[in-house]
Amino acid sequence: MSEHEQYLAEKEKIDQLLSEGYNIYHAVENLDGAFVEFFHLKSGTKKTLHIRTANARKYFSSIFIQQKSS
Amino acid sequence: MVTIKTQRISITDLERNFEEADRGFTNQEALEESNRCLFCYDAPCIKACPTGIDIPSFIKKIASGNLLGSAKTIMSSNPVGASCARVCPTEELCEGSCVLNHSTSPIQIGKLQRYATDWAIKNEQTLFKAGTPNGKTAAVIGGGPAGLSAARELARFGFRVTIYEAAEKAGGLNTYGIVSFRLPQSISFWEVEQVQKLNVRILTNTMAGRDVSAEELLHSYDYIVLAAGMAHVPDLRIEGEELKGVYDAIEFVKATKSGKLSRDFAGKRVAVIGAGNTAIDGATCSVRLGAENVKILYRRSVEEMTAYDFEYEFAKQDGVEFRWLTAPKRIIGDAEGQVAGIECVQMALGDPGEDGRRSPAEVEGSEFTLPVDAVIKAIGQTRHLPLIEAFGLQHEYGVVTADKETFQTSNPKIFACGDILFGKGKGDAMVVTAAQQGKLAAYAIHKQAQTAGTAK
Amino acid sequence: MADLSINLAGIKSPNPFWLASAPPTNSGYQVQRAFEAGWGGAVWKTLGDPILNVSSRFAAINFNGQRVAGFNNIELITDRPLDVNLKEIYETKKRFPNHAIIASLMVEPKQEKWHEIVKRVEDVGVDGLELNFGCPHGMAERGMGSASGQVPSLVEKQTYWVKEAAKTPVIVKLTPNITDITVTAEAAVNGGADAISMINTINSLMGVDLDTWNTIPHVAGKGAHGGYCGPAVKPIALNMVAECARNPRISVPISGIGGISNWQDAVEFILMGAAGVQVCTAAMHHGFRIVEDMIEGLDHYLDSKNISAVSELIGKSVPRYSDWGNLDLHYNITAQINTDVCINCNKCHIACEDTSHQCIDMIKGDNGRSYLKVREEDCVGCNLCAIVCPVEGAITMVEQTSMQPMTWNERQAALNSSK
Repeated sequence: MSEHEQYLAEKEKIDQLLSEGYNIYHAVENLDGAFVEFFHLKSGTKKTLHIRTANARKYFSSIFIQQKSS
Repeated sequence: MVTIKTQRISITDLERNFEEADRGFTNQEALEESNRCLFCYDAPCIKACPTGIDIPSFIKKIASGNLLGSAKTIMSSNPVGASCARVCPTEELCEGSCVLNHSTSPIQIGKLQRYATDWAIKNEQTLFKAGTPNGKTAAVIGGGPAGLSAARELARFGFRVTIYEAAEKAGGLNTYGIVSFRLPQSISFWEVEQVQKLNVRILTNTMAGRDVSAEELLHSYDYIVLAAGMAHVPDLRIEGEELKGVYDAIEFVKATKSGKLSRDFAGKRVAVIGAGNTAIDGATCSVRLGAENVKILYRRSVEEMTAYDFEYEFAKQDGVEFRWLTAPKRIIGDAEGQVAGIECVQMALGDPGEDGRRSPAEVEGSEFTLPVDAVIKAIGQTRHLPLIEAFGLQHEYGVVTADKETFQTSNPKIFACGDILFGKGKGDAMVVTAAQQGKLAAYAIHKQAQTAGTAK
Repeated sequence: MADLSINLAGIKSPNPFWLASAPPTNSGYQVQRAFEAGWGGAVWKTLGDPILNVSSRFAAINFNGQRVAGFNNIELITDRPLDVNLKEIYETKKRFPNHAIIASLMVEPKQEKWHEIVKRVEDVGVDGLELNFGCPHGMAERGMGSASGQVPSLVEKQTYWVKEAAKTPVIVKLTPNITDITVTAEAAVNGGADAISMINTINSLMGVDLDTWNTIPHVAGKGAHGGYCGPAVKPIALNMVAECARNPRISVPISGIGGISNWQDAVEFILMGAAGVQVCTAAMHHGFRIVEDMIEGLDHYLDSKNISAVSELIGKSVPRYSDWGNLDLHYNITAQINTDVCINCNKCHIACEDTSHQCIDMIKGDNGRSYLKVREEDCVGCNLCAIVCPVEGAITMVEQTSMQPMTWNERQAALNSSK
């Protein structure tokens, strides 16, 4: 899978959670990439995505900034 | 302002006229030109070279000062690469395909190739080694470009190779057939030497079919490479052909390379029959031997002429006159049996024939006579029919039938390459093509020998 | 005709092109020839205790047949007594009163030494002083030049001593042989410098002879490091000028030096904050006459931009120079190949394939013709293909739509706040 396809796959996972009503509330970044933690306000469930591609790491952080400012 | 141009042709110093016309690149020119090369990836020039020389690599090596490596890159792909640097129609091959044709001007690949190989010649480099002996033997009939190329590759594979050369020296066309002012003999001799250094035995003055029989060769060697080229110029089949002063262009050019230039043409009028590259050579050699007027007579027009454009230009600069649509009818002799004139007839072109060329026909009543002192015949070359038949090979009007890839003939142990394969619609009669065929024939023989070896 | 005159910390000259303190400004004869040719100013070859030079002093680096891509010297400051130089400065200034003559100075780091030379030099009427804290070879071994220029406290102290005595503007010339030039620039400002100039030459060994194994250049079989300059150092110099120009604590004018070879280079330095430029290698390569095109080219450039004075250009690009952390992570450009212009050398393909992101495909069209195509989704917009492309206009980097701008600093601030 090309890097672009990997990005699209990761972006889709992020978008999926967002559409289900999840919000990003925290992210840990280390040698293996980013571990982005999502929280569903209504149900109180947490989910973590391991985001590896550079473009997806840019993407989730922009979403995160957007969520914070709104 | 008056500029004094260097005289192109000297009427007193004929030897100077036969010195190499192009002086080649200086170090600085070579450095600048080599640095201009883009070093293309998957370069079109490599594909355009019949021998597939890795041109960007050899040019890069000139730029980096690795001239030995550059010469090796050239000569490994083309065993007569020093000659080809001078005689290849580069505008139609490597230089014609250079991507810079689409932006600035193409890299002068031929001159760079000459620069690198000249360096190797001047520095007396031996570029290759013979392979570990494989116990097989091969006879190469003809020591011209195709034969030398096959011999060298076979020697590198470990074959014990003997070249049978009819002439006094090996090199074939490069030694005898290409005019000195384009290709000095010393270049051809160096290429022959490079092959000899791989323990290749060259038997000169030894003509296969005359001095050694076909059966003997077939009996004595595991493989035979038939690279005998072509024979003499055919007769015009007109009256007066036997007169003194009628020459075979091939022999005429060869005589200018014998070491002693004839003074017999000084101030004379020469007519050359034909308009191929050999005709041009006959004409320019005549000019350089001091002839006062040289005309090329061709029965078709400039469009059908087979000479390369640069050869045509060169001849025009030498002052050669071209008489298109002019065919010879008879050669007129004087009381001493010496050529005195040539009767010609005007021709007109008809519709294109099968080969796409328009066939000429005489214009009735248009005969006229040109006063000339010599006539040079350059209307193609005949085939080595007796030799081909002595080997019992299939052929078509003297053009040996061979596999397009392996060059194997109807006799599995005989491979043919070079001009002996050249005929109507059978590839280009270029030195570089002959070299490539020699190489490929050698590869095919090596492959066959290996398979035969493992089968035992 | 635009106004090309400059006023650099009070030093006025008819145009921004000065000759740097170096071999071209060794004598009155040379500086007068330079002014005749059109140079606006000259920084005189560094004055100090006359030195001794060696023979074999320069070397240059050629790149792919192009001569003098970089240049190096092991020549020291003036080897002539001060009074001889001062007499020629006086005569030159008298003949060319409107051209700027700046005296470059280098003495031991002692207060009385600086006071003495400043006084004697100013007496003959120079327009300004330039303190040579940059020469990296020879003099540095004796504690001067870059040896003192690399120690911020010495820069500050010596500048201060000079300012105690000087009546004319003082420029401090900085060495690039230091990790962060803004530190020494700030030291100069703290010492009272009216302006700073940069860069002096960079420590360098030009080469080794493959046959003799001698250094290049060598002096009787031995070599020592020299100072590197010429076109190859321009990017290094430009960065140092820009770093100083955008630093709010370095508030003095900058005289830009380093590989400036033509008016375009000069404009770049001026846009990045230089109030004037100094040139040496290009003049050493081609002679003083190069200034004619520099002046004309600059003039035409200003006219074409409808700018009436070169001073209006100063620092116009400085706000565009920042830290990496302030760059937009979402800005997205991709390569586009114009197949009508492309000559199919395939250099972009192999460069991308071997050394970047493998996104340029070699394709054979239906008509049998080869062409190159960028897979835009995999292109990271690195510019490599456009850099190696030999044909103007064959590769264009095209802006793509992207998300709202987000810098690294903004991103990290947001992520860290969630901890």
